[in-house]
Amino acid sequence: MPLRELVLEGAGERDLTKLGEYREVGGYAALERALGMDPGKVIEEITVGTLRGRGGAGFPMGRKASLIAKGSPNPTYLVVNADESEPGAFKDRQIMGTVPHRLIEGCLITAHGIESRSVFIYIRGEYLHEFEVMRAALEETRGADLLGGITIVLHRGAGAYICGEETALLESLEGKRGQPRTRPPYPPITGLYASPTQINNVQTIATVPKIIELGGAEFAKIGPQNSPGTAVFSLSGNVVRPGNYELELGTSLRELIYDIGGGVAGGRELKAIIPGGSSVPVLTPEQLDTPLDFDSIAAAGSFLGSAAVMVIDDRCCMVQLALRVSKFYMHESCGKCTPCREGTRWLVQLLDRLEGGQGTQADLDLLDSVCARMLGRSLCALGDFAVYPVSSYMEKYRDEFQAHVDEAGCPFGGESSVEGILAPVDQHSHHKTVEVPA
Amino acid sequence: MSTEALVDQIRAIAEQYPERESAIMPALHIAQERYGWLPPEALCEVADALELTPAYCKAVASFYDMYHLRPTGRHLVEVCTNVACALVGAQQVVEAFEAELGLRAGETTEDGEVTLRAVECAGGCGYAPVVVVDHRYREPVRPENVPAIVEGLRRAP
Amino acid sequence: MSTPELVTVTIDDRAVQVPKGTGLVETALAAGVEIPVFCYEPRLGPAVGACRMCLVEVEGMPKLQAGCTLTAQDGMTVRTAQTSAKAADGQNATLEFLLVNHPLDCPVCDKGGECPLQDLTFRYGPGRTRMTFPKLTFDKPIPISPTIALDRERCILCYRCTRFSEGVSEDGELVTVNRGAQSMIATFEDEPYRGRFSGNVIELCPVGALTSTQYRFLARPWEIQNVPSVCGLCPVGCNIDVTTREGKVKRVLSRNHPEVDEGWLCDKGRFAFSHPHARDRITEPLRRVRRRGFEELSWDDAVDEAERMLRAAGTRIVTALSGSETIEQAYALGKLLRQGLGAHAAVLPEETSTALDALRLPLSAIRDAELVVVVGDQPVEERAPVVDLWLRAARRRGAEIVTIGPTGSIQTPPGSAPQVCRDLAAENNELGRRLRGGQRSIVIWSGPDGRGGEHIAALAHALGLADVAGSGAFYLPDTPNGRGVADAWSAVADGEPADPEPIALLIVSGDEAAANPGVRALAERAEMVLAITMFQGLAVGWADLVLPGTSYLERDGTYMNLEGRVQRLRRTVIPPAPDELAWLAKLAGRFGVELSPHPSLVFEDVSARLFGGLAFADIAATAALPTRAKAAPRPPLPEPEPQLGGDGLRLLRYRSLFSGAAVERVAELQFQRPAREVEISPEDAAAKGIASGNEVAVRHNGTSVALRATLNRRLAPGVVRIADEHAGDLGARVEVGRA
Repeated sequence: MPLRELVLEGAGERDLTKLGEYREVGGYAALERALGMDPGKVIEEITVGTLRGRGGAGFPMGRKASLIAKGSPNPTYLVVNADESEPGAFKDRQIMGTVPHRLIEGCLITAHGIESRSVFIYIRGEYLHEFEVMRAALEETRGADLLGGITIVLHRGAGAYICGEETALLESLEGKRGQPRTRPPYPPITGLYASPTQINNVQTIATVPKIIELGGAEFAKIGPQNSPGTAVFSLSGNVVRPGNYELELGTSLRELIYDIGGGVAGGRELKAIIPGGSSVPVLTPEQLDTPLDFDSIAAAGSFLGSAAVMVIDDRCCMVQLALRVSKFYMHESCGKCTPCREGTRWLVQLLDRLEGGQGTQADLDLLDSVCARMLGRSLCALGDFAVYPVSSYMEKYRDEFQAHVDEAGCPFGGESSVEGILAPVDQHSHHKTVEVPA
Repeated sequence: MSTEALVDQIRAIAEQYPERESAIMPALHIAQERYGWLPPEALCEVADALELTPAYCKAVASFYDMYHLRPTGRHLVEVCTNVACALVGAQQVVEAFEAELGLRAGETTEDGEVTLRAVECAGGCGYAPVVVVDHRYREPVRPENVPAIVEGLRRAP
Repeated sequence: MSTPELVTVTIDDRAVQVPKGTGLVETALAAGVEIPVFCYEPRLGPAVGACRMCLVEVEGMPKLQAGCTLTAQDGMTVRTAQTSAKAADGQNATLEFLLVNHPLDCPVCDKGGECPLQDLTFRYGPGRTRMTFPKLTFDKPIPISPTIALDRERCILCYRCTRFSEGVSEDGELVTVNRGAQSMIATFEDEPYRGRFSGNVIELCPVGALTSTQYRFLARPWEIQNVPSVCGLCPVGCNIDVTTREGKVKRVLSRNHPEVDEGWLCDKGRFAFSHPHARDRITEPLRRVRRRGFEELSWDDAVDEAERMLRAAGTRIVTALSGSETIEQAYALGKLLRQGLGAHAAVLPEETSTALDALRLPLSAIRDAELVVVVGDQPVEERAPVVDLWLRAARRRGAEIVTIGPTGSIQTPPGSAPQVCRDLAAENNELGRRLRGGQRSIVIWSGPDGRGGEHIAALAHALGLADVAGSGAFYLPDTPNGRGVADAWSAVADGEPADPEPIALLIVSGDEAAANPGVRALAERAEMVLAITMFQGLAVGWADLVLPGTSYLERDGTYMNLEGRVQRLRRTVIPPAPDELAWLAKLAGRFGVELSPHPSLVFEDVSARLFGGLAFADIAATAALPTRAKAAPRPPLPEPEPQLGGDGLRLLRYRSLFSGAAVERVAELQFQRPAREVEISPEDAAAKGIASGNEVAVRHNGTSVALRATLNRRLAPGVVRIADEHAGDLGARVEVGRA
């Protein structure tokens, strides 16, 4: 299966961060076409193209736009979620860093479609280089009078995974602590500054120019019927050729990992695959032929999420991996709601004890129970994201968890690939951190 | 930068937003650039510029990992130890820095030059292990690259 | 107003009809079902859904839902823990998670016995813990102010306190810092929580995390009595519950009157209750003895002495009232002096105007207003603090609040409020035009005193506000019961007061009157002085006979608040001396005046003349507001007053909320008292080369006061502002310069 580049198209050959180069490859032509269209028609093309959100949830962008409150006395905002923070994902970074104008063009087309004059791009704080590339591109666009009276503000985050959650992002953008809001009301009705707000991921918006260029109907023919288009897959872990690969949705895991990624590095054996970033349930080698699209991955019991595929070889202790992932979610839990704030910490304590060899059968049961009691009870999805890895690792690699109890220690005997990995919560840091007793 | 200049710069940024409060994150970034971290007086200046309370600024600043509420070294070395980097040897990179700098992750060298931190996923999973030196990505970094990086920092002006 | 659409919701198989959009927690309550909550508190704004205690099963939704965030929709079917195993598990799990890091130190926790966390764990929680790790620890307890202690281990992070600080009092001083499990409640660095309403967070806290330093370790909830009464420290008259144990007041809690206070209390009302136990409290009558100072005398002797003084003075008596007396006390004094002796001369605490009766509204109407204009020199929060909360609530709801004064959104010099009233009443005034055209327009006078009530009433009448049900006017008096005292005094008799010269006897009723410099001046002219005060510091030294006074916490009777609402004070503890009515009744008997020592009977007498015969027993625990008067005087608009001439800056004195005889005697409130500083506008500061924090000298006519300068952006140029207690003898025009 070859690459199919729609979003990253041309970036391999030219420096598309430059406006001139981007225009050479037809950049901003879609904007011009869109501006000649009725706003409703723009959204209709996106709806016909069945563009599903590439940020993780896969919600159709056109349907989102149709929910925007009409006749609100407040302005309508477009917010681009560029707070890519899901472990395993680095696609938005590449889009911003190599095809910034495509994102800006997508913003301008979308703003026209939803009749918004004001766009905010919330860029993850760590992506300083990409922020600077975007800023330079935006300056060029402004200089070339392409903004058409629309203001685009680049807003830098400051290190908080939770701000990738759309309502937390809105809170953060408003200058508050980035804690998710309870929903309803949903952003299309009450979003940024309590105003109607369209919020989409970088890749989603960067795909919009292509839909306008091809027309929604043509676009919908790419890839599977329910998930048309491409995704930039972020391939990482124990694989020969990690990196970002833009492929049609529906490409199988096997094709991505073996044909494109060159297979498991060092000739090791494949043990586990995380198909959509660290928050999603793990898949096993038996599921390698699952097509990478929203519905197929869901049918396999996981989520396509942010299309971040992590390859794990046989040297990895799944209890250690669960512990490391849990430390991440404990670190990133915003603290607003009870199950997530308390549950993430409790999971870390239990896994830590298990990995240390002091775990009992009762602790295994308790792990199951804590997962079950967290699932579906939190204010936002982070509470569930903290559970999916632990519960799926426990389900699919139960023997390994059991062995930690039976052998009173890690069966890898210090040889696991993630042995001793330090997490930010383990270190004395600028913020006081949780000390988890062994 | 004088306090007045800082306040003016923050107020200019606030103009970009429908509500002044939105400028708190850029304001904290600017204040941190000035001081190297966010001491109480920096929070008071941001509060003053945006007509917020210092307590509010602390509440926001302490929510995000990139704002430093304790002094840090002149240089900041951040090693990603999340899953993708962990799988390909991030711990060995952390340990190489610890040995080279003579400290533990989370600490600052005694001369105040370098702070070493382990950080959560930096978004360079395909080029792991990722090290971020003064907010610029080095990808990938192997333990054997560490001495040169430290040497570079020690020689930096 | 249209009638809201009714919807039918079924909760635990019970159908109930409620207006569409009613909160699900309230809907369940209407069906007789409890949805347990911690973070939910409608007074703090929209539900946040943080604690997850209220998880319920809603038909058609796969996941458990946070009940507090839902509203009633027709046909909705809801199951709580009572009928849904899933909901029961959800609630049980929430409690398990909450208790994972909670210290469970209930035996030594002040909240024990009145703790929602205990109660809900008892009803919905797990009976045993599965937590086998050391719990999260924090330094504790931390005094976040001299009045409030914070125990971060007990905190369940419901964010009620921080939401109060951010969204009700809007002081922004109490916040959450850090993230995740390390989140904690904090002030900035080591600064104390200085808001005027900080104590409300103690009551909002559903666990023992925020406790009162005054109440810590003093009592168990089953050893106390709560007596419903009314605060007597400002004219709002917030409803309170007074907790007593073994005959002493231990704390003051709010008691929600939805029209008056919405369950909020200011820190003066909450924390000043210990003043009756001050060391200089007068508990025995005192008589001045030449060269020997004062001697105690028996009550019999004291009444004899008072009788002798009254007989000697005859009609040449002046009575200075405080405005903190109960209606019954003021009436009793009037009956004795006016009916018994024909002594009509009085210094009333303030001028009141019945013209406001035709513009009457509950305070809660401010919240619902579209446009509120506050005129005057004194900030609302210093004289009627809870009114400030109503104004903030109105602004949050979208109302426009315009303040016109030296620190207002429209800046005017001190003393210009009468002129502002004239301006607003003018046909071509834009703001006045909008007030006139509105359906919910309110005007408020906030100092200076004098004829403010009349002026604001004149403005409101000129704008036609009396004819619009949602519009009206308020006058914020200086004293808690000034109107009630004045009305009661006048209702006793019709006699014309003549200024006696010379004054044979000055009767000083209450500590506020004793602290009034004008009254002090009269005392110098009077041949004899009889003072009724609580504390040594005030009248003692210049009175000839001092009779112990009582506190509002020790009296039975009634107060009339600034709305015109008559509210019941209850005796919460026995005073250390007989109360005023007891000896007044005895003394009245000596002059052939029939006066009952029982407030209820005195009230009957007053009520027949003032309140249409309202019975004492019919004053509800949450008292009703009399309906708007149909016929009331319509005073003319104020005449323009000459503006003060002269050079220098205008001095604006203000009385801080945290001042007065009670506050001065409460150690925990000293940190709240105004700093020794002079507020100056940035313009004037720049012109004089003064920076914030500089030591400056404020001079007037040879007197000089050393103060620290502080810049106030909201202060009008040309004006400086100093708290009364630090302004010394400075006059109205001052010079300010670097010390």
